[in-house]
Amino acid sequence: MTLFVAERVDKLFPGVRALDGVTLALEAGSVHALLGENGAGKSTLIKVITGLYRPDGGKLLLDGSEVAFGSPHESAAAGIGVVHQERNLIPGFTVGENILLQKLPTSRGLVDRAAIRSEASRWLAELDLDIDPDQPVTELSVAQAQLVEIAKALSVESRVLLLDEPTASITPNEADRLFRVVDKLKNDGRAVLFVSHKLEEVFQICDTVTVLRDGSSVLESGALADLTRDQVVDLMVGRVHEALSLPPRTVDRSVDPLLELSGVSTATGHADIDLAVRPGEIVGLYGLVGAGRSELAKALLGLDRITAGEVRIRGRAVRIKNVRDALRNHKIGYVTENRKEEGVFLEQSVSRNIAVTIWDRLSKLLGYVPAKAESALVARYVEQLGIRIASPAQLAGTLSGGNQQKVSLAKWLAAQTEILIIDEPTVGIDVRTKDAFHTLIWDLAANGLAILLITSDLPEMITLADRVVVMRDHRVQGEVANDHDYDRMSQQVIRLIHAERAVA
Amino acid sequence: MRRFVKTTEMTLLVICVVFFVFLVIASGGDLVGANSLKVLLQFLAVPILIGLAQMVVLAVGQLNLAVGAVGGFAAVAMGVMMADHGVPVPLALLIGFVLASLAGLANGLLVVLTRINGFIVTLATMTVLLGVQYRLVGTRTVDAYPQGLKSFGSYAVFGVLPLIFLVALLVAGLLSVMLRRTVPGRQLLASGGNPIAARLSGISNDRSVVLAHTLSGAILGVAAILTVASSPGVNKSIGGDWLLPSFAAPIIGGALLTGGSAVVLGTVLAAFIVRFVDTARAEFSLEPSWVNFVVGTVVLGSVVLGQVRTRRQSRRTVVKAPDAAVAGRVS
Amino acid sequence: MSAPVSETATAALQEPDQPPAQRGGKTPWWANQRIGLLVLVVLLATLFGVLRPAFFNQQLVVFPLLRDIAMFTVVGLAQLCVLSIGHMNLAVGRMAAFSMMITGISYDLWHFSLYAGLLVGLIAGAAIGALAGWVIARTGVNSFVVTLALDFLLLGLIPLVYTGLTDNAAFVTKPDGMREMRNYSLADICIGNVCGSPAVPQLALFAVIAMVVVGWIYSRTKLGRELLMTGTSVKAAELSGIPTARRVITAHAMSGCLAALAGFMLAVSTGSIKATIGEEFMLPSFLGPILGGTLLAGGFISVWGTLLGTALTSVIRKGLDLLGVGLESLNIYLGLILLVALSTDRIRTVLSERQEVRQR
Repeated sequence: MTLFVAERVDKLFPGVRALDGVTLALEAGSVHALLGENGAGKSTLIKVITGLYRPDGGKLLLDGSEVAFGSPHESAAAGIGVVHQERNLIPGFTVGENILLQKLPTSRGLVDRAAIRSEASRWLAELDLDIDPDQPVTELSVAQAQLVEIAKALSVESRVLLLDEPTASITPNEADRLFRVVDKLKNDGRAVLFVSHKLEEVFQICDTVTVLRDGSSVLESGALADLTRDQVVDLMVGRVHEALSLPPRTVDRSVDPLLELSGVSTATGHADIDLAVRPGEIVGLYGLVGAGRSELAKALLGLDRITAGEVRIRGRAVRIKNVRDALRNHKIGYVTENRKEEGVFLEQSVSRNIAVTIWDRLSKLLGYVPAKAESALVARYVEQLGIRIASPAQLAGTLSGGNQQKVSLAKWLAAQTEILIIDEPTVGIDVRTKDAFHTLIWDLAANGLAILLITSDLPEMITLADRVVVMRDHRVQGEVANDHDYDRMSQQVIRLIHAERAVA
Repeated sequence: MRRFVKTTEMTLLVICVVFFVFLVIASGGDLVGANSLKVLLQFLAVPILIGLAQMVVLAVGQLNLAVGAVGGFAAVAMGVMMADHGVPVPLALLIGFVLASLAGLANGLLVVLTRINGFIVTLATMTVLLGVQYRLVGTRTVDAYPQGLKSFGSYAVFGVLPLIFLVALLVAGLLSVMLRRTVPGRQLLASGGNPIAARLSGISNDRSVVLAHTLSGAILGVAAILTVASSPGVNKSIGGDWLLPSFAAPIIGGALLTGGSAVVLGTVLAAFIVRFVDTARAEFSLEPSWVNFVVGTVVLGSVVLGQVRTRRQSRRTVVKAPDAAVAGRVS
Repeated sequence: MSAPVSETATAALQEPDQPPAQRGGKTPWWANQRIGLLVLVVLLATLFGVLRPAFFNQQLVVFPLLRDIAMFTVVGLAQLCVLSIGHMNLAVGRMAAFSMMITGISYDLWHFSLYAGLLVGLIAGAAIGALAGWVIARTGVNSFVVTLALDFLLLGLIPLVYTGLTDNAAFVTKPDGMREMRNYSLADICIGNVCGSPAVPQLALFAVIAMVVVGWIYSRTKLGRELLMTGTSVKAAELSGIPTARRVITAHAMSGCLAALAGFMLAVSTGSIKATIGEEFMLPSFLGPILGGTLLAGGFISVWGTLLGTALTSVIRKGLDLLGVGLESLNIYLGLILLVALSTDRIRTVLSERQEVRQR
C-alpha cells in the first residue's frame, strides 16, 4: 500500500532549479532508499516533504489525498516523522521530555512528569531501547541520541519516517543496532525513507531506491534486488558524462617528497599514518565520511595535536603551529571542504577574499597595503582561474558555488604555496564547473605543486590522482597506483576500503 | 545537564553557608540578632528579583539592558500616582505592575518584529524609559504615599523574615515552577537551548522570546512594588544601579549566555553571596566600592570557569561533525 | 565567540540553509545610510536654526556642540574598533575613567606635562583594553560578559584609588595648557593673516586625528583588513592564516586607547579629572557607529557614518535643548530615534533587496 507520494515536485531557488519534477513513492512496510551525490537535491526534497520549504510545483499525497504543509509541525501532525542530520535534542531536557516535546502531557496545567516517563518508556520499549527516560540527553552517546530522535519522530504516531543520514556519525556496531530498529519499524507496517551515502547499508536494509542527480530523479522506486552496486553508482554519478581528457603528466619519482608523514598519530585518533607527496604529484586521500581525512589535514596545519611520528617538509622535520605558520614558513595551503564557513568570507569582497593571504607580503611601513599592487595580484588570479565577477568589489556571498570555490583556491595560489591540501573541491558544484576545476588542479600539479587531494567523489579521484591512499577509521588501509581505468580502480579502492570489515 | 546544574547550585549553597558562618563569627555573633538578620534579608528582595528578571531573558538566549529603566520607571509611576494623584494604593501598584509588563512585552515584540539585535532594542527602550522616568518625577523625591504601604515594606514575620523578602522568594518559586513544570516554560527553555530543534518540534521561538521579555517585565514590576514599599521615597535614580547586579546574579548562578538554562536557585543564591559581600564590607567598614570590585572579579572568574566546564563537556558528548564522532570512539 | 549573546533564538527564526542572501551589487542611492544621515543632519540643523536663530551662535552653541560631537565621535570610534571584529566593549566609559585616573596621577604625583600625561593615559587605556581582549581570546568567553565584568571591577577600583589619593575625589593639579586647550578655537591658529573659525574648538582636532588614523587603518592597512576579516568569520580568518587571537587583543587595545582619548577630551572640556568620567559614554558609543551603518555582527565599519551618527544625536540633543525640552527627557527622543532609524534601515534594506531581485 502506498502511504506517501511526492509527485513531480519542483523547487526553485534564485538561479538554481534544486528539484526538477522529482517523484518519490513510499510503501507501507518497506524501506526506501534515497540516493544521490551531494547537491543532488536530497536535503531539499526532505525539506519540501516536511514543510520547511514550499514546493514550486507538483504535489504531496498522503494516503491518496493531497496535502500541503506550512511547517514541520504540520507534517509531523499528519504523521510524517523525521530524524534530521543535525542533532535536534534540547540539551537541558531529559530523554522523555525530548521525545514528547511536540506535545508535552499535562495534568492540571502542569507538565506531568509521570506521564512523560510512562509514555516515553513506551516509545523507547517499542524500539527495544534500554535508555532511562529521566536521563538528561547530554549524557547520551551520539548513537543513543540518534535512537532517541527516532523515538521522538515516532511519538507523533507517525507512519512515515524519514531518516536523513542516520549512520553518518555512528560506528558500525551502533549502526547494526539502528538497522534492527529500522527492520522493526518496517515489520510494524511503517514506511521508512532512508537517506545514506553508504551503499552497503542501503543494500543491506532497503527494499526500493530512488536516485537523484542534479535535482531530477534518474531512477524512481527501483527494486534494489534487481540492481547491482555498480548500476546504482552509475546512476548516481551519471556515467554518460564523458570522461575529461587531460594532457599527460609524469611525476619524477626520483625527487624527494615535499611533504612526508611517517608514523603520525594525532589526538583525534589517527594512528601510524605514512604518506608522501612529491612536487608535481597529486596524491588522493580516499575514504568514507568519518575516516578522518579532513582531520588529518587539520592536524598537519597545527589545528590538532600530533602525538607521535614525524612530519617532514622538504626533508626537514617540522612542527607546524597554525595555518599562519604553515603558510609563511612552509608554503602550505589548505582549501577547506567547508567552503561557506571556513573557505570564503561571504560578506567580504572577492578582492579581499583573494588578497587575505598576501597582505603580509605586500605590506609596507606601518602595515600599509598598496592598493595597486593588491588589485593587480587579485586581477591576475581572477583571470587565471576564470572567476566570473562583475567587479572585484562584489561580495563573495553573491557568487555561485563554483566561483566561490575558485576564490577559496585563488588565495592559496596568490600566496605562492608549494604544497596544497585540497579538501572536497567540487562538492555541490555542477558538472561543467567540475571539469574546469579538474583541469585546473591538474595544471597546478603539472606546474610543480605537491597536491594532497581529499575527496569522496571516486570518479574525481580516479581522474586526478596519481596514487590513491585509502583511509578507514583514522588509519591508512593501503595504497593504489592509479592507471585511470575507472572500473578496475573503483573495484580496487572499494575492496581496500572494506578489507577490514571482511576480516572482522 | 541537570546533575551539572545541581553541582553548581550545590557549590553556591556551600559558599553561602560558609560565608554566612564566617560573617557571624566576624561580627561576634551580632549578625544572628533579629534586627541584623532582618536588615540582611530586607535588602535581598530586590536584588533577587532583578537577577531573575535577567535570568529569564538569558534563558531564551536574549538579554535585557532595560532592567533598571523598566523597574525605575514603574516605581516612579506608582509613586507619582499615589502621591500626586491620590490613586488608591492597590490600583496604583497594579497599574505600575502592568506598565512594567507592557514594557517587557514591547521589548519582546520589537525584537521579534524588527529582527534587530535584542541588545540594541533594549538599549533603546532603556533610554526611552529613563527619559520617561525623569519626566515623571524630575528632580524630586516622591515619598508622600500612604503609610500602610511603607509598613508593608518594613513588616517582618516573627520580626526576622521581611515580608518583601518572602514576596521575592514567592516570585522565585513561581518562576521555577513555571520554567520547570508548565508547557510555555518548557517551550521557552527549548527555544533557548536549541532553537532549530524547537522550531522543528512546532514551538514558536518568536512566542518564547516575547514571553521571556514579558516575564522579565512582570518580575521587574514586582521589584518596583517592593522598592516603592521599602525605600523612603522614589526618585530619578531608582534602578540606575540595577544593570550590573542583574547580570552578576544569573552568571554567578550558572546561567548559560547562549540560552536554555533555568537557574532560579542559582540566581537566588548568587544574590545572597553578593549581599554577603556587601555585609562583610560594612562589617569591616570598607569603601562601598569594594563590593563592585569583588563582584566584578567573581563574575569574571565564574564565567571563565563555566567556559572551561562547558568546553570539557562539549568535548565529551555534544558531537556535531561526523568525523569527530568516530574519532572520539577510536581514541 | 564573536556572536552577540542575544542572537541565538532569533537567528534560528530565519530559514536555515537558504541560499545566501543576495547582497552587494548596486544599491540605489536612497538606500545609502550615510547620505540619508547627512541629509537628516543638515535638515535638522536648518530646522532648529529657523526655529531658534540662537542655534547658530558660534560661541554659545556651535562651539560646545562641535566639542561634544568631537568627543562622542571618538567614543563611537572606540566602540567601532571592537564592533569591527563582532565584539562589544561595555566598559568603554570605565576604561576612559581608568586611563584618566592614571593621567591624573601622572599630573598630580609625577608632575608630567599635559601631553606626556595624555600619552600615559593612552597607554593605560590600550593596556586595559588589551587585558580585556586577552581574557576573551584566551578563554573564548563572550566579549559582552568579559567587558561587563571588567566594568564592574573598574567601577569598584577607581573610586578606591581616588579616595586614597585625593581629597575631593578629583585630581586638582592642572598641567599648563589644559585650560587653554578647553577654550581655544581654530581662531587662535593663524597661518599668516588667515585664521580658523572661532566656532571650531581646537579639541576637535583630536577627533579629526582619531578619525584619520582609524580610517587609514581600516581602509589602507593589513591590520584593518585582518580585523574586518576576523569580524566576518573567525574560522575562515584563522584558516587563512590570520592570527585571530592577536587581532582580538589588538581590537580591544585600540578600543581602550580611543576610550582614553575620549576621556581626556572630556576631562579637558569639563576641566577636572574625576572618577565619574565616562559614565555617559555607553549609549553614545553604540549610537554613533550603529546609526552610521557599522554592523554589530562585525566585518563592516564606517568612520564617516560614526561621525554622522554622532552628529545627528548631538544636533538633536542641542536643538531640543534650545527648544526648551528638558535635558533628561531628551533621552525619550534619542531612544525612539535609534529604534526608528534601525527599523527604517531594515525596511530600506529589504526594499532594495526586493528591487534587486526584480531586476534580475
